[in-house]
Amino acid sequence: MNRVRNFKMILWMIIGVGAAVGVARFLLGLGSTTNLSDNTPWGIWIGFDVMSGVALAAGGFVLTATVYIFKLEKFHSIVRPAVLTAFLGYIAVAFGLLFDLGLPWNIWHMIVFWNPHSPLFEVGWCVMLYLTVLLMEFFPVPAEEFSFLSKIRKVLIKLRLPLVIAGIALSTLHQSSLGSLFLIMPYNVHPLWYTPILPVIFFISAIGLGLMMVTFESLFTAWLYRRKPEVDLLEKIGSAARWVFMTYLVIRVSDLLIRGQLDQLGSGQWQVKMFWVELAMVAVIPTVMLSFRYVRTKAAGLMTVAITGVTGIVLNRINVGGLVHINRGETVYLPAWTEIAITAAVIAGASLVFLYMIERFNIWETRPTDPDASPTQLPHFHSVDGTWLGTPGISARTKYSFGFIIAAAFAFAFISWEPAESRGVDPTPVHQARGGDTLWIDGNRDGFGTAFAHKEHIRRNGEDKSCSKCHHMNQPRDKNTACSQCHNDMYLPSDAFKHDWHSSPNGGKLACVECHDKASIRDIDSAKKCDYCHKNLIPQGSLIKIETYEANSYAEAMHMVCIDCHVQVAVEKEKPVLSRCETCHEGQRDLVDADVLIKSKSDLVGKRMVLPPLSRSKCND
Amino acid sequence: MLETWIGFGQGPLFRLCLALMLLGLTRIFLLTIIGMIEALRRNEDKIIPWKDLIGKTISWLFPLKRLFNKRPVYSLISLIFHIGLIIVPLFLAAHLLLWKNVTGFAVSAIPKLFADNLTLTVIICSILLFLMRLFYQPARAISRKQDYLWPILLIIPFLTGYICSNGSISPNAYLLLMLIHVYSANLIMVMIPFTKIAHCVLMPFSQLVTAIGWKFPKGAGGRVIETLGLKNRPTWVEKPRLVYEDLTPEKEEVSV
Repeated sequence: MNRVRNFKMILWMIIGVGAAVGVARFLLGLGSTTNLSDNTPWGIWIGFDVMSGVALAAGGFVLTATVYIFKLEKFHSIVRPAVLTAFLGYIAVAFGLLFDLGLPWNIWHMIVFWNPHSPLFEVGWCVMLYLTVLLMEFFPVPAEEFSFLSKIRKVLIKLRLPLVIAGIALSTLHQSSLGSLFLIMPYNVHPLWYTPILPVIFFISAIGLGLMMVTFESLFTAWLYRRKPEVDLLEKIGSAARWVFMTYLVIRVSDLLIRGQLDQLGSGQWQVKMFWVELAMVAVIPTVMLSFRYVRTKAAGLMTVAITGVTGIVLNRINVGGLVHINRGETVYLPAWTEIAITAAVIAGASLVFLYMIERFNIWETRPTDPDASPTQLPHFHSVDGTWLGTPGISARTKYSFGFIIAAAFAFAFISWEPAESRGVDPTPVHQARGGDTLWIDGNRDGFGTAFAHKEHIRRNGEDKSCSKCHHMNQPRDKNTACSQCHNDMYLPSDAFKHDWHSSPNGGKLACVECHDKASIRDIDSAKKCDYCHKNLIPQGSLIKIETYEANSYAEAMHMVCIDCHVQVAVEKEKPVLSRCETCHEGQRDLVDADVLIKSKSDLVGKRMVLPPLSRSKCND
Repeated sequence: MLETWIGFGQGPLFRLCLALMLLGLTRIFLLTIIGMIEALRRNEDKIIPWKDLIGKTISWLFPLKRLFNKRPVYSLISLIFHIGLIIVPLFLAAHLLLWKNVTGFAVSAIPKLFADNLTLTVIICSILLFLMRLFYQPARAISRKQDYLWPILLIIPFLTGYICSNGSISPNAYLLLMLIHVYSANLIMVMIPFTKIAHCVLMPFSQLVTAIGWKFPKGAGGRVIETLGLKNRPTWVEKPRLVYEDLTPEKEEVSV
């Protein structure tokens, strides 16, 4: 029994660390306690806690289906632990999600504010309903102990078959929908993972993972409580799991083959190595090992396979969930220790409840007895001062709480209580448009842009006089300055006035008072305007009026300058095609909404390309 | 070098010790409550004289009435000692910065002069209490090792703190004293929940615990007799009871 006590002690200490981190997370916010950012808002909490957590709990529906639908009664003895694992797993998912949500108190919104187009909405509802189903499936077990619950228990047992069917249906839905979530990110998920059949792959691997998790849990608790492992049952489960993994392997490889992505394997990216590791752990090793009867009939062999399979599929979920996303930003996400601590604490909490449940209720056919609780056992004494620590229950409570506070205090000391500081949006530098008579405008060079008939526009708008219509700024010693000179970030507004250059001894060599009024505060209002020094900065007859020093983002500026004219001309010449996205973004139907007619500038605000201008900070040098 | 260690003591180590102290006190508080509930549930006699207990507890928490009943000098010194012990660490201006760093807010500080005098008072009281424990025989009879340790341990941060804020000493000596000040204070914070100083949260329960603890489970007496193998023998033996006077020196001398 010492094993159990030591294990519980470790769990309590992990929970202690997690508790301290959890407090910090809710006091300081996500920004200062995690490595999550606007670029990677989904980290290990989603990849592991939610995606893997749901999949790990798949054993519940697989085994209830086996026993109550397919009537394989011999598995009856492991249904209860499997359902309990599933129930606790889903509670852990919901609990872990609360840490990840920016506004966790709004979690109920999905119940009231429906968005039926969203896979996440479906996942949320399914998880919620399935949690209820699991509660109703599991409730008869603890209800055995309390006579006043016997009526409810009888009703629930009568309802068991419909509950099991509902559980299978709901699991099928949301296990696959977790894969559907990533269908909307074809350009983010690495092509080795992105496939239209992601939902199918998620569902099949969830079944395999469920079986492996049942095996792992059964063998581990048997080791913990020094029981005889149920190898004869687990052998049959392993035998079934072999076919699941084989199916997974076939589907995964043939999917790559059909999509023509096998050549990705030769690309030498680190994701390829990840793919091989994952495929070996999820499919190849379990399939091969489980094919040997020798492995299947040994607890150690089954345990090895279970650990490999579980780790592999968890790795798969983490990969799809964010690790192998193609990151356009500069930063690489690695989970902070605080994130790992919360994850570990949630799992530890669920494990403790599990252990409590098997000790307190009839989860197994025989409840494990605590040898320390027998009257012949010596009482516990404090190892230092010899104080009697009480009965085993009381002494356990004393020790666990001690471990908890020690761990929590150390975690508290290690957390950096620095104030949150936004790293903001990563800058996306803009490249100048390339070409001659026709310009290829693609500021961030991601292949999505427009072929702009520059010469044709000049010809139609009055040759040499036409330049200033669009080019609304002549920088000093320049004429018709290129757009990217001032609008130099794809998505962020930038400052068209280079203050630091003007004041720098290597640049303008200007003293403050040469621009700013001597008497007043040196800010934008007390400064001379550009045209005080720079003549002809703003050309005559420009269609664009400059009101601030703020140059909006390249994407926004490009759209604004075109759309004004295009909308106008479309009406004048009755050519609605001119105000259609696809007219400029030709051949990019999959990225633009081809049927939308842009009627004014405001139609674009909120679209992916155009961000609303950020508020400009005042210059108080 | 010394600055680094002082910074460590005021930063992560301080957070660790503070967390240990607060969590440890919470732990022992909750364990006591749970233990009392369990004992009460097991006990045969569940009647608790609440009115009497609350009255006693309050009179011990605010010992104004008891102050001059018995051993007035000791009571007065002890009271002043406790007041200083709580006020100086919490409300000294220099400490408020620390609190603010860790918790994000702080209250207003006490005047410097008042703090200095209170510090001196605490040091003197502490020495007096230590001497009293050393030379007053009944106190010695019920003392453990930690009872002698605490007054000495408490003097260290107060004395070093006082010298650092008032004495004109060399910078190196200042740093060394500051180091001792910070680390001894941290040590005290860690030790609070695991030693008798836990009475700062357990004090309100002392009367209640005694009231509950001296009630026995149903049939406890019978089981004790059975375990001792005295079932058929007379259990009541007339012997002089051990009384408080047995511990006083005069009686001891007589017995020797």
